[in-house]
Formats: sequence, C-alpha cells, structure tokens
Amino acid sequence: MAFLEVDNITKDFGGLVANNHISFSIDEGEIVGLIGPNGAGKTTLFNCIVGYHKPDSGKVIFRGKDITGLKPHDTNRAGIGRTFQVMKVTTGMTVLENVMVGAFCRVDEREQARKKALALLGFMGIEKIKDFHLNELPVAMQRKVGLARALATNPVLLMLDEVASGLNPKEIEEIVEFMRVINSEKKITLFIIEHIMEMVMKVSQRVIVLDYGEKIAEGLPADIVKNENVIKAYLGEKYAQSH
Amino acid sequence: MEAIKDALNFSDFSRAERISLIIFSLFLLIFPLLGAGSFTKTVMIQFLLFSLFGMGWNTIGGYGGQVELGKAQYVGIGAYTVALMMVWWKIPFWFSMPVGVLIALGYSFIIGYPLFRLKGHYFAIATICTSLVLKDIFDNWTLVGAAKGIELPIHEHPDFVYMQFKSDTYYYYFIMVLFYIGLFYMNWFRKSKLGYQLRMIKDDEDAAESLGIDIRWCKIKAYSIASAFVAVGGGFMAVYNLYIDPTSVMELSLSIKIALMAMLGGAASLWGPIIGAAFLVPLDRFLGSWLGGYKGLIGVDFMIYAALIMVVSAYQPRGIWGIIEQLRKRGS
Repeated sequence: MAFLEVDNITKDFGGLVANNHISFSIDEGEIVGLIGPNGAGKTTLFNCIVGYHKPDSGKVIFRGKDITGLKPHDTNRAGIGRTFQVMKVTTGMTVLENVMVGAFCRVDEREQARKKALALLGFMGIEKIKDFHLNELPVAMQRKVGLARALATNPVLLMLDEVASGLNPKEIEEIVEFMRVINSEKKITLFIIEHIMEMVMKVSQRVIVLDYGEKIAEGLPADIVKNENVIKAYLGEKYAQSH
Repeated sequence: MEAIKDALNFSDFSRAERISLIIFSLFLLIFPLLGAGSFTKTVMIQFLLFSLFGMGWNTIGGYGGQVELGKAQYVGIGAYTVALMMVWWKIPFWFSMPVGVLIALGYSFIIGYPLFRLKGHYFAIATICTSLVLKDIFDNWTLVGAAKGIELPIHEHPDFVYMQFKSDTYYYYFIMVLFYIGLFYMNWFRKSKLGYQLRMIKDDEDAAESLGIDIRWCKIKAYSIASAFVAVGGGFMAVYNLYIDPTSVMELSLSIKIALMAMLGGAASLWGPIIGAAFLVPLDRFLGSWLGGYKGLIGVDFMIYAALIMVVSAYQPRGIWGIIEQLRKRGS
C-alpha cells in the first residue's frame, strides 16, 4: 500500500482545467519532486491533496485513509504538513510564537509548546531570531520559519512549495542539506515543488512533471532530464545539452 | 491551577506597565472615598462596564481580528434574562445572571455557526443584522414589555440577593469586581492555546489552517466567550439602571461603542479596551450632556466617533496603545 496515493485527480476552475486526471503515488521515506512550467497546476495539485481545493473528481488516499475533500486542518492532523510559496509577511507574532502555534497542534500546554518550539528552532539553528517578527527577517529566514512551524505539527509527510525560490546558492545548499536531514533523521517523507532544477535533481529520488494540468512524465531524475516531452515543455534544449 | 497562575501573572509586561496597573488599581479601590459627585461616580461605573464589554469584544474582535459589530444583542440577552426572571418569578440576581450567560452562550453558538461561514465585511454586516433582528423582536414582543421595556422593583435597603442598592458605591464596587475578573480572565486568555491560535488566524488564515487549526470552530469559541462577557455586563445593567428597554440594551450604537472603544484603545492588547473606555466614556457623557442641550445637534456625537474611527484606522490601526508602544520603541 502506498503512503500517499493520488488517484485520477481533476480540478476544473470553470473551463480552465488545472489538474487533468493526475495519478501517482509516493512511498514512505521518499523525496519526490514536482516540476513543471508556471501555471502547470503544481500548487493546485498541492491544494487538492491538502484540502484548500476540493477536487472535482478523483481520490486522495493517505496511509490507507481516504482524505479527499477533508479540510486543511484535518489533513494536517492526519500528518500532512505544508509550506506556502508566498508566505504572508505578518507583524502580529514573533518567530517563537509562530512555531508555538504549530506545536499547539499536538499539545495543549503553553510550556510544552514553548519547549517544543525552542527545540525545533535550535535544531534548525535559528534560535537567535526567536523574538523577531516575520517582517523584520530576510526571505531565507522567513522560509525557515515557515518550515519550522510546519515541522512543529509533527508531520509524516511534508509538502514544500518552492522553499528555495529567491534564495542564494549558499542558502539553497543549506536547505537541501536540511531536507536530507529531516528525511533521514526525522523519517519525514518529502514532496516538493521546485523551479530550481539543480536542487530538484540533486535532492529528489523521483520526479513528477506536470504541463498544462497533465502529468507528462514520472521517473528518476536522470531519466527525466533525457525525456523528450519534458525537454520540450519545460527544461529546454539548452538544459538537456548541458547535462 | 496553571490557569490561575497565568491569570495572575503579569510578569511579561514591562515594569512601567505593572506599576501603572498597581497605581490604577489603588485608585479604583479608593475612588468612592474621594468624595466625588454622583455624576463622576456614574461615569466611573460606565467606564468599568464598558471596559468589561471591550475586554469581551477583544477576544473575537481583537485577538481574532474579526470585525464584530453585534455585541449589543448579548448585552440585551443578559439584561433581559435578569430583569424578566426577577419581575416574573422573583429569582435572585445570582441565579438569573448565570442563566443569562448560559443563554447568551447557547444563542451565540447558534448564531455563530452560520455567521462564521462569512468573512471580512460580509461577516461585519451579518453581525449587525442579527443584532438588529433581535432588537426588532424585542421591540414588538409584548410579553417582554415590547418597546416600553421593563421596570425592576425598587428595594429600599441594600439587597445582596437581588443586587439592588440605593447608593452608587455598592454598584461601583460590584462592577469593579466584575472588571477584575474580566481582566484576569483576559490575562489568561491571551496566553492560552486559543489565544495563540486566534492571533494566527488574524495574521494568516491559510497558514493557520495548515497548522491544524479549525478556523471556524476557533472563531465560534471566541465569539461565544465574548458573548458571555457582555451578557454579564448586561445583567449588571439591568440591576443598575432598574429599567431596561430594547433601545437601552440592544441598540446598534451600543454595539458600535463596544467595538470602537476596544479598537480606539488598542485591539488585541490587554490594556486596549480599558484605555479606550477611559477615553470614550467621559467623552460620550460630555458630548451627550453638552450637545443634548442644543436642538438639532443630536447625532453629532456619532459624527465625532466616525471621525475617530477613521483617524485611528488611518494613523495607527493598533489604537492608542499602538501609539504608546511606538513611542516607547523610539525612546529606547
């Protein structure tokens, strides 16, 4: 039985088919990349799985349970965490409080939540910024806070929506390293949307490619870069030749 | 146990704030001994009452960030429950007041469940509407006195069972106790799980949902807490005014004043509603007695409130307390 199984998902935004009969599955412990041009339906697919959108047809099965159409807070409680492509830069709460809210998903006591949040910030090496507000931090740090608060909910599947966009090579290196660590140490399965090919190819064990709402390829990174459909739709000749 | 500790613990506030709170508390305690006139006493009682209302509103309106403009209906529920139970069955205040709170809680769940399908302006308008509907019902319901209202029997001697006194001093200390219960409750609330979750909802609803927060349920809970708060104040209004009618306890202007005081003082802060009430209650009284003397100037006070709302939301959405914090940051 697959860990996450997406079966024939279709999402139609009044004529614009964002996801057209998409099926795939993810096994426990994998790191799977999701790539495709802008508007290919990647984020829509994420939203259909997590519950921000209700798919028009198809099923999402997570650890043997049908979670199709569940609300995001229910899928989160079932063990799916996610980050957002665009994080709202808010001024209301500090970093520590943000992560504590994530921790409150599993604990009721404030002290417990605080301890858990501090431990997580320490694990990520960002405990120094705990009293800052999101608007006072650079993008790379904001992304890490987004990751930390998602991790605080104890997910077993973490879905990351372009965590590396806008980061410099060194920061990307850090994030990649961090993904490997949470995957191997915390045993969290990762499903990531990414535009930076170097990163996807390096970190993912398997890649799924979307174009115009349809799945056009799926396979090992090494095979994907040679796939003609993918080169035509997304990677371009230049990328294919250089690899 | 832990909750009581949290409620009484103000240690995360600055020294200046804690000292101010102590001085303010001492002042409240000895105020009736200062020989103030009855007008000033009335203003103080109103101030404490509206602080209590504002604190309640602050749960859903401040921490939760939902523009709620229908709190008057719950003031009305609290006030009418106390008044009717006293007039019909001679039931003591200490029984009827909790009953009023329970009715307000139940009613707020029924109203809140569909209401929180709405967001933003639509939600604000819907809260106004539900409040207006309830007022209309009471205005025409002869069984509860319709628009004529209800008079409570007057007791000559201080009566702690029905909470009726001739002297304002009793009422003053009574509302002061309620005020402190409210303050301690809010001090716990802001540190509670629900408090944190509400602040997240206010900041970013999508993110809140992704962190396992059932947004609608959290909002309903906060809305009900706010409703219970103002129902307590409503019960007090019944025994204090000894006369209630839909206009005095359910009017739209009351809802707006409650929200305005908390917003003006500083929504989502513990001191905000108190500061707002300290500012607006005397202003309201002053404008009322001053403008009331001139024909044709009725309603001008509302223009002034409207202007205040605009100034606050344009200059500092976090209200007077936001301005103070800004100045303090600049100073340090």
